[in-house]
Amino acid sequence: MDEVSVSDNGGESQPSQLAVVGSTSSSSSSYSATVAERWRPRQMVFCSYTPFLDNGGKPQTLRVVVRRPFVTRLTKEIVDTYQLCNPRFQYSETLNPKRFLTTPSIGVLNDGNDNANSDLILTVNYALVNLDTQRRYIVKDILGHGTFGQVAKCWVAETNSFVAVKIIKNQPAYYQQALVEVSILTTLNKKFDPEDKHHIVRIYDYFVYQRHLCIAFELLDTNLYELIKLNHFRGLSLSIVQLFSKQILRGLALMKDAGIIHCDLKPENILLCTSVKPAEIKIIDFGSACMEDRTVYSYIQSRYYRSPEVLLGYQYTTAIDMWSFGCIVAELFLGLPLFPGASEFDLLRRMIKILGGQPPDYILNEAKNTGKFFKFVGSVSHEESGSNPTSRSSAYQALTEEEYEVREAKKPVVGKEYFNHMNLEAIVSKYPYRKNLPEEDILKESQVRLALLDFLRGLVEFDPAKRWSPLQASKHPFVTGEPFTCPYRPAPETPRMPVSQNVKVDHHPAGGHWFAAGLSPNVSGRNRTWQNSPHYQVLPYAHAGSYGSLGSLGSYNDGAGLGSSYGSYGDNNNLLAFYSPVGPSGMNFYPHSGPAVRGPSSDTRRIMQLPHGNGLGVSPGNFVPMSLGTSPSQFTPPSSYGQMSSGSPGHYGPPSPVRGNCHGSPLGKVAAVSQYHRRKNWGYPGSAQSQEMLPSPHWHGQPTEGIFCIQAEGNSNNFGSTSLQPQPNFSVSTRRHQKGASSTSAGPSSAHNLVSSSKFGCDPKVRGQETPEPSNLLPDPGDWDPNYSEELLLQEDNSDVSSMSSEFIKSVHLGQPLVSSDPFVGGRRFNSISNASSSHSSQRSSGGSSLGEVSSPSAHETRGGYIHSVTKAPYFMPHLVQGSPSRLGQQPVQRFNHGKATSTPGAEWSHAKVQPPISSFNSGGPHSAGGIGMPWGRRSSHPVTNIPPTYRGRKDYGRIA
Amino acid sequence: MDNSSQEPLLRSENSVTYDCPYPIYSMAFSSSAASLPRRRPIAVGSFIEELNNRVDILSFDEETLSVKPIPGLSFDHPYPPTKLMFHPKPAASLIKATDLLASSGDYLRLWEVRDSSIEPVITLNNSKTSEFCAPLTSFDWNDVEPRRIGTSSIDTTCTIWDIEKGVVETQLIAHDKEVYDIAWGEAGVFASVSADGSVRIFDLRDKEHSTIIYESPQPDTPLLRLAWNKQDLRYMATILMDSNKVVVLDIRSPTMPVAELERHQASVNAIAWAPQSARHICSGGDDGQALIWELPTVAGPNGIDPMSMYSAGSEINQLQWSAAQPDWIAIAFSNKLQLLRV
Repeated sequence: MDEVSVSDNGGESQPSQLAVVGSTSSSSSSYSATVAERWRPRQMVFCSYTPFLDNGGKPQTLRVVVRRPFVTRLTKEIVDTYQLCNPRFQYSETLNPKRFLTTPSIGVLNDGNDNANSDLILTVNYALVNLDTQRRYIVKDILGHGTFGQVAKCWVAETNSFVAVKIIKNQPAYYQQALVEVSILTTLNKKFDPEDKHHIVRIYDYFVYQRHLCIAFELLDTNLYELIKLNHFRGLSLSIVQLFSKQILRGLALMKDAGIIHCDLKPENILLCTSVKPAEIKIIDFGSACMEDRTVYSYIQSRYYRSPEVLLGYQYTTAIDMWSFGCIVAELFLGLPLFPGASEFDLLRRMIKILGGQPPDYILNEAKNTGKFFKFVGSVSHEESGSNPTSRSSAYQALTEEEYEVREAKKPVVGKEYFNHMNLEAIVSKYPYRKNLPEEDILKESQVRLALLDFLRGLVEFDPAKRWSPLQASKHPFVTGEPFTCPYRPAPETPRMPVSQNVKVDHHPAGGHWFAAGLSPNVSGRNRTWQNSPHYQVLPYAHAGSYGSLGSLGSYNDGAGLGSSYGSYGDNNNLLAFYSPVGPSGMNFYPHSGPAVRGPSSDTRRIMQLPHGNGLGVSPGNFVPMSLGTSPSQFTPPSSYGQMSSGSPGHYGPPSPVRGNCHGSPLGKVAAVSQYHRRKNWGYPGSAQSQEMLPSPHWHGQPTEGIFCIQAEGNSNNFGSTSLQPQPNFSVSTRRHQKGASSTSAGPSSAHNLVSSSKFGCDPKVRGQETPEPSNLLPDPGDWDPNYSEELLLQEDNSDVSSMSSEFIKSVHLGQPLVSSDPFVGGRRFNSISNASSSHSSQRSSGGSSLGEVSSPSAHETRGGYIHSVTKAPYFMPHLVQGSPSRLGQQPVQRFNHGKATSTPGAEWSHAKVQPPISSFNSGGPHSAGGIGMPWGRRSSHPVTNIPPTYRGRKDYGRIA
Repeated sequence: MDNSSQEPLLRSENSVTYDCPYPIYSMAFSSSAASLPRRRPIAVGSFIEELNNRVDILSFDEETLSVKPIPGLSFDHPYPPTKLMFHPKPAASLIKATDLLASSGDYLRLWEVRDSSIEPVITLNNSKTSEFCAPLTSFDWNDVEPRRIGTSSIDTTCTIWDIEKGVVETQLIAHDKEVYDIAWGEAGVFASVSADGSVRIFDLRDKEHSTIIYESPQPDTPLLRLAWNKQDLRYMATILMDSNKVVVLDIRSPTMPVAELERHQASVNAIAWAPQSARHICSGGDDGQALIWELPTVAGPNGIDPMSMYSAGSEINQLQWSAAQPDWIAIAFSNKLQLLRV
C-alpha cells in the first residue's frame, strides 16, 4: 500500500474547480495520477472535495428545526418512534435480560438484595448510592471478590472517572472488619500521606447502601502476581525489582511510622497504577491490617509470605511485613514464590532449608506453636543463643517429617521443590540468566544479584529483631542503586545506650525488656490472647478504644524497639496520630452502622486536635538519607527536616537553628524525662559522640542533634502533661503516657475517658510539634534519587493494564543502548541492569505475541502489543546517588570478590540519555504482522470489559485496582 | 434547499434518481446478478410514522439507467423497517431463482422474492412475552455462513439466528445498554455498537467474553452504526450520535481510532465501505453530502480530507454501496433514492 497518497490527487493536483460537475474531464485527470491497478473512485457525479463554503443557505441550520435523523429515530429513539407509529406499542426495560455480576445471583437474603453468601447481587449499571452525598456509583464490572465481599469497577458521573468499590458482605463481622480498614486507610491517607507519595492505595469514600458497607478506592491496574504471570512466571528484570522494592519500602516505612501492620502483604496486594508514566505500584487491601499495638489475630498473612514469628505464634510487629516484603522481592526476581509452603510445616521446613538457621531461641522459648514444629533438645543459655540461632547452639531442633507425623498424628503436607539449589545464595546466583546475554552483562548482573542476595538476607531474617526496618532496607545498595561492594550493615535504628542511662528503663512499666537479653518481652499477655479472640468480636472494641488499648501493648512496642530497633519511637508517635481514624477524612459515614461507629467518631474529635505535622513529620524522614542512623528523623519536626534538606544536598544537617536548640537546654531534661529520650541518649549521649558512632558520620550527626532538640521540647511538654495525668501508668514520658492514656480509655464504654485523656495526650503533643506544616517540604524522591522515575518514563498514557506492563517493557528496552559507553564501574553495572531488563522484556513481549494463536492471552496483552503511537523517547537516566564514600571505605569485610566492582564509589554517573530503539517494541506486538484472521485467535480470555479477566486465583479480591 | 444545481446530474449517465411516495430509510442492493437478469433489485423501506409501512422492490437497469418498481414486488411492513438486506449469496440459497430478503423491525422477517410476487417466509421472534417486544435496531447477514443472521436489539442483546432451522443459535447480552448495530466479520465473529458507547467484538466460540475495541470518549455517547471493512477485516468504522465524525478503527489497536473523519458539516447518518477497495469508505450525513474517503497511510496534521464529494441537497438518511456493482452507490434522502456512479 502505497504509491499514491491522498494529497496526490485530493486537494492539490486538482485545484478545486469548484462545482465541476463535468465528470469526464476531471476523471481523466484523476486517472493520470493514479496507478492503474488500484481502484479509486472516479469523479463522475462525485466531484473533488472542497472545504465547506459558507454560502448563505446552510443546510445544517435548517436541520435544527427539522426532526432528528432517521437513523437516530430508529436507534436511540426507536421506542418513541414505535409509539408514534403504534400508540399501543409497549416496551419495558425491566424485561431486559440482566447481566448479573454476582454469583449466585438469586436473592435470598436481605429482602432479596443479597445472595446466599450475603453478597449484594450486582448487575451491570446497578447504582450504589451514597445517600448522604447522593453520589452514585454505577457498577460496570466486577473486579474481584473474596471472603469480605466483592470489588466492582464503578463509574462516577460527577467526577467523570472510574473507581473501585469494595462492597462488603452484609454480615456484622465483615462489616466491622471493613470499618477497621476504612479507619486505617483513612489515617494513612489523610494523616500520614496527604500527598499520595507513599504508594498506598487511596480511599475516596465510604457509605452504607442496602445494608452493605461500600468503600470507594482509586482504581488501579493489575497486580504483581498477574504481572509475573503475564511474564510466564519468569522473573522480572532486576531494575524493575529494584524500582518496585523502592516503592513498596516507601509504603512500608509509612506504615511502620503509623504503627500499622498490613498483615497480608503479597504480590496480589501490590497493584500497578493506571496510566502513570513512570511505572508505579500501590499497596492495597488493608482488610487484615491492624495497629501494631493491637495485634489481635494470630492467623494472619498468606502462607507463602507468612513470617516465622506468626507461624510460630509469637507476638509480631511491623517486621512481619518486612518478611513478606522479602518474599515478594525474591518472587519478583524468581518468578516463583520463595517459600511455597504447602503447609505450615512445609513452609518452615523450606525457610530453614533455604535460609539456613532457624528462629532464635528467645522466640522458640515463648512462641505458642513451637512444640508443633520443634523439639527441645537441651537448654542452652538463652542469652547467647538468642543472637546466634543455628541449630547447633539452639535448644530446639526442627522436627523431621516423621517426628511431625508422630506428634501431630498426620503426615505433613509437603510441596514440591521449585528450585534445585536449595539455599538462598544458590537460588539467586544460579537462577538462569536470560539467553543470549553477553558475557559482560552476565558479569554485571551477577554483581547486582549479589546485592539482591544481601538485600534479601536482611529481609527474610528469622529474628524479627534483626530484620531490617523499611528505612534500613531502603538504604541498601540494591535499592539505592549504589554499587554493592560489601555486605550492608544498616545503621541501627535504636542505638545501644550506655548502661547508666539505661536505668530509666526500669521506671517504665513494661518498658525495659530487651529481646536480645533473652528475656522475652513480657508483653503482658496481650499477644497471647489473640488466639481466643475471634476476629470480629474484638473489633467493636478495637474501634471504640481503637487504637486505645495500648497500655500493655505499648510496652511491648517499647520492648521490641529496644531490642531490635524495631518499635522505634516513631511508632509511638504514630499511635498518637492514629488516634484519628475515621474522623479527619471528611468522609461521611453513613450511619446504619451500629455501635462500632461511635468509637471512631469520638476518636475523631481527638484527632482533630492532633497536629497534622505529626504524621507527616515522620514519614518523610524515613527516606531522607540522614535519618538512617538513628531513625531520629521520626522525631524530627518537619520544619527542621525541611531545613536540612534544603540546606544540604549533601545530606548534611542544617546548621544552626536546630542545633542550637539541641544543645541549648534539653539534654538534661531529656534524660530525665522521656523514655525515648533515654533511648536516644543511649546511642548518642551527646551529639558529638553520635558522629563517631555512625558509619557515615556526616549524614547522621546533625540530624541527631536536631532530634534532640525536638525531643527536648516534646518532653518538657509531655512532662507537664504527665503530671496532670491521673493515670498511675503514666509517669515517664509523653509517648508512653499517650499509650497509657489510651489504655485507660480502651474500654468501649469509656468515651469520657477517651476524650479527656486524649486531651492530655494531645495537647502537649500539639505544642511539641507545633511547627510543622511539613507537607510542602517533603522532598520529592527524585530530589535525592534521580534514578527514581526517569528510568521508566513511559511514553503514553494508557489506562490499559497490559499496556502498562508492556510500557514497562518498552521503557526498559530503552536502557539497552546505554550499555557500552560508560567508563565507570558503577555505571557499567547499572547498565547491565537496564540492559538485562530490556532483553528480558523483549522476551516478555514476544511471549505476548505468541499468544495470538493460543487461547489464553488476554486482550490487554494484545493491546500492549499494539500500542502503536510511539512518541517521545523516554530517557533512561541512571544516576547513581552520590554514594557516601565513607560507607564504602568503612566496610572492612568484603564477602564477595568481584574484582573491580569495589572501587569508584562516588563516581558520579551523570544522566545518560538514550534514545530507545523504537522499533523493537513496536514490532513486539503480537499482531503487527497479523493477517486478517489473526485477531480472533487472541481474544478469548477477555471479559466484556477491557479489563483483564479475573483470573487471580490466589487472591482475595483482585485489584482494587 | 437549492436542488437546482444538482438537476443536471440526475439526467447524466452517472446517476439515477427515483422518487418514492414515501420517505425512505432502509435500502438494500440485491447481490444476485444472475437470477434476475437486467433487473438488479433494490429494496427500499418507508419511514412513515404509522404502523403500516412499506417495502418496495425496484429494479435498476444499469444500461438504460432507469429505476422502476417491479409490479407485485411490494409488501406491507409493520413499523418502519430498521434494515433491509438481501441474501448475501443467492446462488447458495435454498430456493433457486429466487432471492431472499430480510427485514428487521419489531421482529426479524424473511421474505422470498419471486419474479412477480413476494411471500413471507418466516417471522423470527425471540421475545419471551407477547405484550412487549424489544425492537430490533439492525441485523447483519453472515456472508460466509449465510444461514446465520445476527440481530441487535435495544434489550442489550444480540441474537444469532439459524435461519435454515428457524431457531435461535445464541443470544448474548452484548452491551450494558441498547445495541444499535451489528456486523459480521467472519463466520463466527461479529461486532456490535451500543448506547453504552463501545464497539465490542464477539466470537461465538467463546461466548463468555468480548473484546472492547473502542469506547467513545464520553462514556455513554451512543454509537449508532457500524461497518466492517470486508476487504480488510482489520478495519471497521462507526459513527457517534449527533456527531459529524466517522471513527475508523483498527482492531489491532484498540481504544485508539486510526482515523477520525470530520469533514461533514452535520451529523453523519450512514457509512459504507467500498466493496472493491480496502481503503475507501463513503459517508452520508445531515449536511446532504456524501463523501468518499481514502484512508491515508499517514494522517496529516489538519485531519483527513475526503477524496470527493457529492451534494444531495437534502439530508442523506441511507447509503449503500453495491457489492454486485461496485461502481454504484445508492443514497436515500427525503423520498428519493439516488444511484451514483463512482
